[in-house]
Amino acid sequence: MKEVIFAGLGGQGVLTIGLIMAEIANHRGDNTTWVPSYGSAMRGGMANCTVKYGKEIIYNPAQEACDILLAMHEQALSFFEEKMNSGGIIVYNSDIISKDKIRRTDVQCIGVPCASLAEKIGNPRGANIIMTGMLLKASGDFTEEEGLAGMNAMFAKKGKTKFEAQNSIAFKTGYDFPGN
Amino acid sequence: MAEIMKGNHAIAEAAVRAGVTFYAGYPITPSSEIMEYLSGRLPELGRVFIQAESEVAGITMVMGAAACGVRALTASSGPGISLKQEGISCISDEELSCVVINVARYGNGLGTLFSSQCDYLRETRGGGNGDYRCIVLCPESVQEAVDLMALAYELSEKYRIVSTLLTEGALGQMMEPCVLPEFIDPPKVSWGFDGKYSYKKVGIFDRNPYQEGIDLRKKHECIKENEQRFETIDVEDADYVFVAYGLPARSVKGAIKELQAEGHKVGLIRLITAWPFPEKAFSVVNSHVKGFISVEASATGQVVEDVALYSKKSGFGHVPAYCLLNIYGIPAIRDTKENFKKIIAGEIKEVF
Repeated sequence: MKEVIFAGLGGQGVLTIGLIMAEIANHRGDNTTWVPSYGSAMRGGMANCTVKYGKEIIYNPAQEACDILLAMHEQALSFFEEKMNSGGIIVYNSDIISKDKIRRTDVQCIGVPCASLAEKIGNPRGANIIMTGMLLKASGDFTEEEGLAGMNAMFAKKGKTKFEAQNSIAFKTGYDFPGN
Repeated sequence: MAEIMKGNHAIAEAAVRAGVTFYAGYPITPSSEIMEYLSGRLPELGRVFIQAESEVAGITMVMGAAACGVRALTASSGPGISLKQEGISCISDEELSCVVINVARYGNGLGTLFSSQCDYLRETRGGGNGDYRCIVLCPESVQEAVDLMALAYELSEKYRIVSTLLTEGALGQMMEPCVLPEFIDPPKVSWGFDGKYSYKKVGIFDRNPYQEGIDLRKKHECIKENEQRFETIDVEDADYVFVAYGLPARSVKGAIKELQAEGHKVGLIRLITAWPFPEKAFSVVNSHVKGFISVEASATGQVVEDVALYSKKSGFGHVPAYCLLNIYGIPAIRDTKENFKKIIAGEIKEVF
């Protein structure tokens, strides 16, 4: 069972990235849970969610110690990197976080300029889908096909199939980004 | 395939499928998604949804719907449930049936938005003025919450009592896969308004409170005898038995698995009904048990009082009852394990 924390500022889409990962895990038959931080936070405040997935029973759906951290903002990075298991993976938004801000030396770090990449593929709102692709690859637990199938099934459920082509391109951009 | 659903949405859809015809309430975090969901879903099915002007109005409308004999629902969180107590007490007095959902949050007064179990004593002791109890059901997962919804109405109608689904903020807000039940057509109840004032309990005249008191006691005894629900894990040969409900109980299961792997003989009694308290679970506990350990998301210890009372009743009066208090949130598996080791080392003292 893996624990992943998705953290950033409200509006960056971290809760959605977490949900896509949970949907992908469910789609291929894993157990999974998604727990948001919630409260009076609003756009611009800190937001995070915790996803667990795997074949095992998930006893505690809340945070214990994470294996993978997605940091979309520096504040989120400094708050959550202390809560990581040794040997874990930090995937960070290198458009706004510089690598020297990472204090942990016992984890693997992968920087992704997700907003720049999103601009480059002509889908400026696709930064979080790019990050989803990268996270799934970095986890080592999902094939590209499993990721695409689960993500597209999720958006289809919400009646948003018209974005499928551009979502798929964004996902692949993340999944295939060098540094994995 | 099981669909990933938010706890509150799954609970609301399960209520729809259990035949809820009427909802009235007032929004409050972390329960609001229940009524938000129903605000669209119930009218879609030709049923009634009302956002009332206050909690008191909401529960009073539920009372009216219950008097008409339909499946009525309200949902709220700690402070909102406090405001509803006048209505809950009246519905109990009139022996009508309905379901109240408490998506509990932590704190006194207005409190906080943190997930908690701080309303345990209030929910299990009736809550309003008078001398009544509500049947209290406590899910540990989104699936169990969904599965308990139809049962909540069945019990409420069988005993003509208020059923409370006592869930917690984190369970309302989290998402996990669940399978929804089929739609059911609820049975017609005999006490719905018939225009002839043939049901005298709706009102204050022509009643015999003394006899009603005797009957109420008998009803409570019958519920205690027949409706205890619980899950046990390895209590038959445990040195220490944890007692918990809701998400904390689920987390304790993880701690038990790890502690057992380290050689500790530990077990769990998980409450599914908090009232009636599942005292029958104690009858299968190892007669040489060394301690009961309540794990709960409260600051002062509430479940531990029932653990002490019912373990005494089951012949374990000499066995210490400990309490691990998380205040709010879900206790981490590692914390439960650490605290367990402090208990066996004598560093944490018993409460009773």
